[in-house]
Amino acid sequence: MTGFNVSSGPLKYDTEFAKEIYALENGRHIKKCMQCGMCEVSCATRKEMDYSPRKMFLLMRTGQREEFFNSNTMWMCSTCLMCKARCPRGIPIVDVMHDLKCYAISEGYTERPQATFYQAFWTEIWNRGKMFEGGLVARYYLKRGWKEIRKDAFEMKDFGMDMMKHGRIPLKPPKSIKGLQDVHKIVEKAKAQLQKGEDR
Amino acid sequence: MRYSFYPGCEMEGAAVPYLKSFEAVAHVLGIELKEIPDWNCCGATVASGVIGDYPAQVMSARNLALAEPEGADIIVPCSSCYMNLAITNRKFKEDGHFRQMANEALGEVGLKYNGSLNVRQVIDVMVNDVTLDGIKAKVKKPLTGLRVAGYVGCQTPRVFPWEFDDPEQPVFFDKIIEAMGATPVKFPMKARCCGSSHNLTRTEIVTEACYNIITSALDDQAHIMVTPCPMCQMNLDAYQGKVKQHHKLNTSMPVLFFTQLMAIAFDLPPEAWALKHNIVSPYTALAKFGVSK
Repeated sequence: MTGFNVSSGPLKYDTEFAKEIYALENGRHIKKCMQCGMCEVSCATRKEMDYSPRKMFLLMRTGQREEFFNSNTMWMCSTCLMCKARCPRGIPIVDVMHDLKCYAISEGYTERPQATFYQAFWTEIWNRGKMFEGGLVARYYLKRGWKEIRKDAFEMKDFGMDMMKHGRIPLKPPKSIKGLQDVHKIVEKAKAQLQKGEDR
Repeated sequence: MRYSFYPGCEMEGAAVPYLKSFEAVAHVLGIELKEIPDWNCCGATVASGVIGDYPAQVMSARNLALAEPEGADIIVPCSSCYMNLAITNRKFKEDGHFRQMANEALGEVGLKYNGSLNVRQVIDVMVNDVTLDGIKAKVKKPLTGLRVAGYVGCQTPRVFPWEFDDPEQPVFFDKIIEAMGATPVKFPMKARCCGSSHNLTRTEIVTEACYNIITSALDDQAHIMVTPCPMCQMNLDAYQGKVKQHHKLNTSMPVLFFTQLMAIAFDLPPEAWALKHNIVSPYTALAKFGVSK
């Protein structure tokens, strides 16, 4: 029986990590999770996730930081809103996933392709005030590197050709919006407010 | 009926047939559109995951502030744009602290939003403002006998569950199809996820989701599918070749924006149908209504 480490005393978990997550924008709502699993059965991409949202919240409570951030869960969420609509405790799980993506990026967990996609998308908005698909795809592959370009070029060829042939990918990017500097100022101010916790 | 119009980025790119057909049918239905001047991206489903919910919401609030002087409710055809603008708008109306903070940020560039407008999804406007009778009155070529799968998509009915429709089995979109003289099929997958932006990073997620949606429509003997969402239309249309190849599926399912079908039912000129942009050919399914290249 050695190696089992069975103890009659209560298990002690590191609760510091949970506090970190509770402090995020929508983090406080997670405290309401009663582990029912409704999110799990509602999720459109559950099959792709390393852990369901329910299990993520359990990992968090038991302080398993690395396991938590190395999982793909937040990146697989497609924002279909089913879990948010169904959660019997009213947890806005989709919004929590936003926080987790955000936090993962700020903590440097950016190696997943979805993290690249999110960052490329945001850069596109930041530079133009609008999203341009051509720019997004170019930015995405520039960051992912040659290996992925070669792999996907063949896979995506038909899609790109079809979209182009049917006049659905403009070759020239749209003009930047006139108020681009305004958007920058508004976002910078909002980010500063968020950092000070003034949004709540 | 006057509205401020928020087209969204997709309308200038992949969803150009939506814009063309929407503007044409709106004109016929007496919907007056005034585009919000110098609007910016709503943040899609992405901005919140990079800069956080609050900054993303304040960014999309710039559009609300720019629209407010016009004094008309905002009409939004895209599901993601609707989600972001409507949630932000709701916060302005109901959360005094949010309104104060967000206006402080908007004030950096001399903008302010008082929360006086409503953000309206295009289905909501069609059913509640135009009304189904209003649509029926404009139908010149009833689409009798056409079996249509109404794919509402995931975000549209679930932004505010039960606000204007059932979040899981919405019915209003089917009513619009019915108003065009067509027959909506049962189609249980009508509000499930299409895989959305995973199309670039994990294509299998999209092909798998789209396969389930297309086969659900085929099981109910639909001739075509219509949707109000740019992302759904692109995934179901442009990735359908891949879906068929992957799952050895022989039948095609044309996927149109519902406004394209409406333009046909209203007997508008072919430019308003904008069918040249559709990748899966809809011509066979629509041949008996005088639709050809």
